[in-house]
Amino acid sequence: MLTSPLDAKYVGWSNYSYIFTKDKVFLKALGNTFIYAMSVVPISVVLSIFLAVLVYRQKRSSIWRLIFFLPTITTPVAIGMVWMYLYRPNYGLINTILNLFGFKSLDWLNNPKTALLSIIITAIWANIGANMLILYAGLKDIPTSYYEAAAVDGASGWVRFSKITLPLLKPAILFVVVTGMISSWQVFDFIVAMTAPTLGRAGGPINSTMTMVLYMYQTAFEYMYMGRACAMAYVLLIIIMALSLILLRMFRRGGVVSY
Amino acid sequence: MSVKAHVDAKRTGKGRFYTSAELGSARPVETVILVLLGLTMLLPFAWLVSSALKTRAELVKVPPIWIPEVPQWQNFIAVFREVPLLRFYFNSFVTAGGITLSVMITSAMAGFALAKYKFKGRDLVFQGILATMMLPAFIFVIPVYYMMKRVPFAGGNNWLGVGGFGLLHSHLSLILPFAVSGWGIFLMRQFMIGIPDDLLDAARIDGASEAYLFFRIILPLTKPALATVGIFTFITHWNNLFWPLIISTSAPELTTLTVGLKMLSMSFDPNRNAHLILAGLTVGILPVVILFASLQGYYVKGMVMSGLKE
Repeated sequence: MLTSPLDAKYVGWSNYSYIFTKDKVFLKALGNTFIYAMSVVPISVVLSIFLAVLVYRQKRSSIWRLIFFLPTITTPVAIGMVWMYLYRPNYGLINTILNLFGFKSLDWLNNPKTALLSIIITAIWANIGANMLILYAGLKDIPTSYYEAAAVDGASGWVRFSKITLPLLKPAILFVVVTGMISSWQVFDFIVAMTAPTLGRAGGPINSTMTMVLYMYQTAFEYMYMGRACAMAYVLLIIIMALSLILLRMFRRGGVVSY
Repeated sequence: MSVKAHVDAKRTGKGRFYTSAELGSARPVETVILVLLGLTMLLPFAWLVSSALKTRAELVKVPPIWIPEVPQWQNFIAVFREVPLLRFYFNSFVTAGGITLSVMITSAMAGFALAKYKFKGRDLVFQGILATMMLPAFIFVIPVYYMMKRVPFAGGNNWLGVGGFGLLHSHLSLILPFAVSGWGIFLMRQFMIGIPDDLLDAARIDGASEAYLFFRIILPLTKPALATVGIFTFITHWNNLFWPLIISTSAPELTTLTVGLKMLSMSFDPNRNAHLILAGLTVGILPVVILFASLQGYYVKGMVMSGLKE
């Protein structure tokens, strides 16, 4: 099954050139992962900032934090499988709710056009709580005297939020953006859970939900091209490293030095 | 008054300059939004638990029934008869527990050495450990798989690591790749640096051995940090899918709970026996979610502290 390292031949860059020039599925996976990460991270971070402020302003915030914490600690595979049933075209809860508001039913996971979108929605649902809890911890560290001083000077709610909360929350925001990017580029569990009963066929329909780690897994352990899979791993590693560096730079330039 | 005490006084309303509209003063509309979002979080869980007790006919009914007419407890019996859920629980427990134990021991010891001893190359070692935290797990998967297969003298291998299956049929193949954590070492070091050297020197003058220092002084003082490391590690690896999936493909007896839950959709027909799959998922996640939820404080601290590395 596996070649011994002693029998392996040196092939130069051919694994890399193969995945970039001949492997259409790899390029599709690259594109899908890009779309996934670039939508899940910004949307879930913006929503969770909003959510953290809402929870912060509640008198009994602990119960709210507990509710939003639940998806964070639930096994992602189980989340994916439950959502797979929520997306069912005929009896799924999501279509039932859509119909309630007069929208048409969608064939979420079976339609190549909406399959990736379905997974993005689930991922946002699952990520929002963890982000919120980190941002909430950041909010609690902001001394209230700043707000009082601003209120005395007549600053409106929005001004207080954009001039005090956001700049001081920057380290926490940077953290959720960077860790979110790192984990989103590695998305695997949700796709495996939601797209097919067997692993070999996960990533469908017609590769519309194929992502980099999933394709790496299939290349290595279903098709047994270990070298090609390693090349993919390095491509992904470089993307993740580069993104993290760019994000750190961007936030640093913004003024507040984080960490 | 420290900033923390100041903030606390404000939050409890003890300080009397309560002019800020930022605290404890949510408008009704905010609460309504929060309730709606909270329901969105809870709805899938509620649907899961109620569906696990439905018949096939009740499950596909539109609009959905939330409380089944007769709770179908036999769904759970059917799942337990068909799928070795207890075995999965056991494997997950051994894996996550083994990793946690090992990470706690190695993190505390390595953290102690890096924080409290001066030796040649210490900073280089520490930077090396920091660098491992930057690398995502998928990058190691293929080489580590080979390593597990080619451990000499294990699982029928000869001294060159050839001929057998190595550790691939042992729980060690699930534990060893994660047995040491750069994050854990980093965290423990940061905590131990805060403990004054004078304290240790005073104990040394009294004749305490280095082991005594570690077990009787350092460990009790870093208990909260160690608990955070342990709980965060346990939850992370309990929920891990990627590596156990690779291992259990060749060694089905090592199937962990996460992999087992995924395989429910192969044990049962996902269309005709959806209610049984959902019953299996309920048994698979509910007890653990309740346990983990009670550890929220530690977990969030672990998440926040994992950000210290930047």
